[in-house]
Amino acid sequence: MLETFKHTVDYLSSPTISFSILTVITPILFPPTDWFDKINRKLGFHLLWTKTGLIAAMAAITFFFVVGYMDQNFNVILTKADNFPIVLMVYSIYFFTWVAMHKAYINDERLEKGLKPLEYNDPDDKVLVWPDLVYIEFIALILFTVFLVVWSILVPAPLEEPANPAATPNPSKAPWYFLGLQEMLVYYDPWIAGIVLPIFCVVGLMAIPYMDINKKGDGYYSFKERRVGIFIFMYGWIVLWLFLIVLGTFFRGPNWNFYGPFEYWDTHKVVALNSVNLSEYFWVKLLGKGLPENILLREFLGFLTVGGYLFILPFILAKTILKDMYEAYGPTRFVSLMIFGLVMLSLPLKMYLRWVVNLKYFISIPEYFFNI
Amino acid sequence: MFKNDERYWDINLLNKWFAISSIIFLAATVWVFVDDNDDEFKDYQREFRKMQVQVAQEKLEQQAKEVSLEKEAYENALAVAQTEFDNRSDELSELKNQLSDLNDKHYNQNMKFQSQKASVEALKYLVEADNAHGGHGPSNRDEYYSALNKLDILRLEREDTEIQITKIESKIKEIKSIVKDKQDDLDKYTKQFTLTKNKLGKLDRSRMTMANKLGDIVRDLPILDFLDPYYKVNQIVVADVKYDVNFAAVPVVDRCTSCHLGIDNPDFSDAPQPYTTHPNLDLYITSKSPHPMNNFGCTSCHGGRSRGTSFVSSSHTPNTPEDKARWKKEHNWKVNHHWLTPMLPTRYTEASCFKCHSNTSDLAGGEKINLGLTLIDQAGCNGCHHNADWPTLAKSGPNLKRINEKLTEDWVAKWVKNPRHFRYNTRMPSIFEQPNQESEEVTEYNNVEIAGITKYLFEGKDSSPNANQVKYLGDPINGEKLFNAVGCMGCHVNEKNPENAPHIDNYQNLTKVHGPNLVGIGSKVSAEWLYEWLMNPQAYMPDTKMPNLRLEPQQAKDITSYLIQDKNQEFDNSPSHKYDKSVLDELTVNWLKKSNPEKFALSKASKMSEEDKLNFIGEKSIRHYGCFGCHHIDGFDDAKPIGVEITEEGSKPVGKFDFGLFHDIEHTVHAWIENKLRTPRIYDRGKESNHLDLLKMPNFYFSEEEIEAITTAVLAFNSNKVNENLKAHNNDPDLYKKGHRLVKQYNCQGCHLIENRGGQLVEHIGPPEYGPPNLNSEGRKANPDWLLSFFNNPSIIRPNLQVKMPSFHQINDEDWDAIIAYFQHIDSENINYRGIHQFDIKSNEFAAGAKLHEIGQCNSCHFYGEEFPTGDAPTWAPNLALTKERLNAGWVTEWLKNPQQIMPGTKMPAPYVPDSEILSMDGAESDWGSALVALDGDTMAMLDGLRDYLWNIKGKTNIDDIIKAYFDENGYDFDSDGGSDYGDDEDDWGDDEDDDW
Repeated sequence: MLETFKHTVDYLSSPTISFSILTVITPILFPPTDWFDKINRKLGFHLLWTKTGLIAAMAAITFFFVVGYMDQNFNVILTKADNFPIVLMVYSIYFFTWVAMHKAYINDERLEKGLKPLEYNDPDDKVLVWPDLVYIEFIALILFTVFLVVWSILVPAPLEEPANPAATPNPSKAPWYFLGLQEMLVYYDPWIAGIVLPIFCVVGLMAIPYMDINKKGDGYYSFKERRVGIFIFMYGWIVLWLFLIVLGTFFRGPNWNFYGPFEYWDTHKVVALNSVNLSEYFWVKLLGKGLPENILLREFLGFLTVGGYLFILPFILAKTILKDMYEAYGPTRFVSLMIFGLVMLSLPLKMYLRWVVNLKYFISIPEYFFNI
Repeated sequence: MFKNDERYWDINLLNKWFAISSIIFLAATVWVFVDDNDDEFKDYQREFRKMQVQVAQEKLEQQAKEVSLEKEAYENALAVAQTEFDNRSDELSELKNQLSDLNDKHYNQNMKFQSQKASVEALKYLVEADNAHGGHGPSNRDEYYSALNKLDILRLEREDTEIQITKIESKIKEIKSIVKDKQDDLDKYTKQFTLTKNKLGKLDRSRMTMANKLGDIVRDLPILDFLDPYYKVNQIVVADVKYDVNFAAVPVVDRCTSCHLGIDNPDFSDAPQPYTTHPNLDLYITSKSPHPMNNFGCTSCHGGRSRGTSFVSSSHTPNTPEDKARWKKEHNWKVNHHWLTPMLPTRYTEASCFKCHSNTSDLAGGEKINLGLTLIDQAGCNGCHHNADWPTLAKSGPNLKRINEKLTEDWVAKWVKNPRHFRYNTRMPSIFEQPNQESEEVTEYNNVEIAGITKYLFEGKDSSPNANQVKYLGDPINGEKLFNAVGCMGCHVNEKNPENAPHIDNYQNLTKVHGPNLVGIGSKVSAEWLYEWLMNPQAYMPDTKMPNLRLEPQQAKDITSYLIQDKNQEFDNSPSHKYDKSVLDELTVNWLKKSNPEKFALSKASKMSEEDKLNFIGEKSIRHYGCFGCHHIDGFDDAKPIGVEITEEGSKPVGKFDFGLFHDIEHTVHAWIENKLRTPRIYDRGKESNHLDLLKMPNFYFSEEEIEAITTAVLAFNSNKVNENLKAHNNDPDLYKKGHRLVKQYNCQGCHLIENRGGQLVEHIGPPEYGPPNLNSEGRKANPDWLLSFFNNPSIIRPNLQVKMPSFHQINDEDWDAIIAYFQHIDSENINYRGIHQFDIKSNEFAAGAKLHEIGQCNSCHFYGEEFPTGDAPTWAPNLALTKERLNAGWVTEWLKNPQQIMPGTKMPAPYVPDSEILSMDGAESDWGSALVALDGDTMAMLDGLRDYLWNIKGKTNIDDIIKAYFDENGYDFDSDGGSDYGDDEDDWGDDEDDDW
């Protein structure tokens, strides 16, 4: 029974499956349209944001970790001092999402009934910074310091031996907060995964207030009033960032191979890495020729694809299905939004192309270290 | 005052929260201090302090008991003195009063004197200034002189008082000394007791005063403990041993003594770990030992993480599974994954000797590493595994270039397939029939390879008929006697029963099987070959280790017929080696494919005849399996070793070892090596490898003791270097190392005892005086010129021995020189050239020596040139005419003084030397002669005289002919000839040797 459970979890956690499941579940959990909302209600996902849902989900997470702690293989990974923050992270992701969604659902109901949101009823519509907020923050600060102190006493710092170029650790892992980036490196060249995408993350997050023209849902929790925005954000934050950290921490073992949580980290594991470039698909597989000498000719399809995706697709969208949006947002906002959105979407797209058709790069110019 | 009533939170609730969280925070802060100061080593130090108190207390009680005997007497004397002192107390107080008055007076006088002295100095300056520059004002000269006079008067007055003071003081001292002397006597008597008591007072808190108790607590409080704590980390900085932190080397800092507190204190030899004393303080730790703790630290031998101050962080390594289980329970022990050099398990500590003693395996007490290094030489590990720090001297297996003269193809194929089938304890490792070759496919390939190797070895050589020819046979019964007597068993055994074969768990037993076990030799070689081999091994194999025993033809025939009669029927009857021709084709193509396209390989193979293919496979297989690592084979003279270099194998990080797919082997370097030696192919388990990619280290079937010894040696091959000044070999010449390796290579220790190792041959001979001589003090004893000529052309030294020194013609003068240098080095003999020993035959000493010689009746055992001893053959001793050529003069005196000390068990008695008492008795002159009397019991002078007399004995030095002639005529049968003086401690002699010698 337990073994079956473990095997199932191992199977489901492989990146292709778990990523797909999350991609499918996110729009149901945070339905951006009425259609998804209907499915949400039908499947009872909305119950996750009730108090019972909180208890049940916390129990489920705890059950998983307890089973993991008792498992010989997962125990080794789970009890590493480095990995403790991830366990906390898993709990806190859900808890804080729950807080927001729980309040949002209550407000949504009130708004539907024509009532004001809960926050509106606060005394005189204001909270005092001094002394209340500062005092509360100070107490929180003390308690958190206590937590850090106790943590540092109970779990010794994970120091390792002096760095030795002849004996590097396997797997070599980034600090936990960068493991999402490291996971991206599997699919993109370093300059994209390590530089372009993180910059887009930061700049994109900074740009949100300037691109947001929705005046509703300001100053109070609400889901329905900005459900598309919340869905996109949640997909980016939970699936494309936090999940990749969890994946990098628990499921990536020696040689950066994937291992299920209950699987032994066998250094001998070999996974075939035989991905194919787009140019090779076109010239070699489709046309049955060799690759052309001329780099531009060789990679023309890649350039077309990437250029079309980033620069032509927004215009097409503006003319067709996102016509309303284009009109509401105006050209500057729309284009910025499209660029950030498409870049974000390029990550799952590339991941799926890798898994489904073994695509290595759209554009592959190793001569100049330029690969996309 | 500002007052704000606007509140949305209950301030009292927040206050409560604030109070609670502050208290928790305080508690956490206290916890930080406790956690930071609650080090594991402090628990050990507290426990050790208790033990120290107990030991000191026991010592104190013991000493109290010792002093109690006479203490009372001393105390009574003190009491009597005290009464006398008390009686004179009035006198004393009167004196003290006087002294007080005088002191007051002296104080006053001194003040006056000092003040006057200051005035005088000032006036002196004025006078001197006037002297120099003159005439500027009134002269102060008169004033100066009168002041000077006054100073003298004051000084004299002061001195008077001082004299009086001294007088009174001495009187007081005298009175006081009545008691003080007695008190001193008592203190002196109880000194040790008082010292222990003081020590105990500092250790045992319950014996301290309140203030000291407080101080003892305060010194170890957090923060304050930086000053002078009692509980602290003890550390030794070992400047000459470096720890490599990549790109830099820092001195090792050993903190082991923070917990191993009694390590240098013999009082704690029975204490449990970690308090116990080091088991060998004579050799280690103490400042008098050759390895003082301050120069060598602990981790330079034991390894581990030197800076660790807890059981786990210092990377202890358990020696046994039981230790491991206990440690896990008691100390929560686990492997420090990030420390690459864990402690050596105690059974491998000897591996560390090598880093300083890297030129030798001859270490007193280093039995394991000696066995390991010798085995590495003998098993031929370096043939495949290059090792810069312990390079191979010679191939360990026989030369195969003339194999056709000795063996048949059929025999060789069967032998290569499984050498143990023929000889159960052969050194030849098994390449085939190993666990990773069990599949049918691989077995078939192997059969082809075996056939190919055989074919290659015999290619182009005549296989001579292998019939036993009668003309090479003699008397097997006599042959057996000879085999047992002439010294064959120094290197060989002839043992059919594996139960009785020497079990190689020590070096002594290893020397017994230096050469092959000769069982079943009749199935292997022909009588002709064996006879020729015995007569002159070098004729067949110039680089053999087998020496020439200078046998007579008849003796060689006898031994031949004794050895040849033993056949291995089972081996003979086993079917000839077969292989599948289609597999031969397949393997040929496989090999060709390695460096050619398949099409080309196929066409090339199709043009080859079966013989060509076999030869081709043979050559490839010999290269593949590295046969040339141990054997000289045609075409492989320059071949490179096939194995991994092992120069630094011992310090390879454990992650670099392939433990294979199974997880049942402990992931430590030593466990990997042990298992590799035990089952060389073990790391192939479960792997799907191509036949040519299989692991190929052959199986030597080492015993567990051999595995442990070799593992020790391999762990010794590491990169943990020490500074040059710690290295022992800085004092040793290179020749020494070479000589020592040669002694092992030619198994000198099979017959001779050298450095307290070896000499097993004597077990077959009986009393040590009939076995090969032990070579203690050989370096000081033998004249190197003579020794070299003896090595090159051995003559008879001890006429009563049947065993004889064989001729090692394969050793050249350069190597002999190294061997002699080795002997000299172990005896700290540093003189290369010696003058001819000079003496005066007219001297008194010489005359005394002559007299001693006469009394000693040396001629009853010793030869004098061709003059026979008066005693019987069993007691015969070396030719004294040879002494001056053979021995060093200094050593001879030493020998004469106490022969038993140099050669335990020798029959040579120490010559009787009269002492001065005897020489001064009446009539001594007539009994002992004037020369001896004149020396008046000076032993050394008398023995020097005796030595000089020996030096003057003339005669033939090489008397081999006459001794041989004697034994040819009388036989070697001491039991029937020697009669009563020969005793019954002798039983192993040949009974009726009536032929040679």
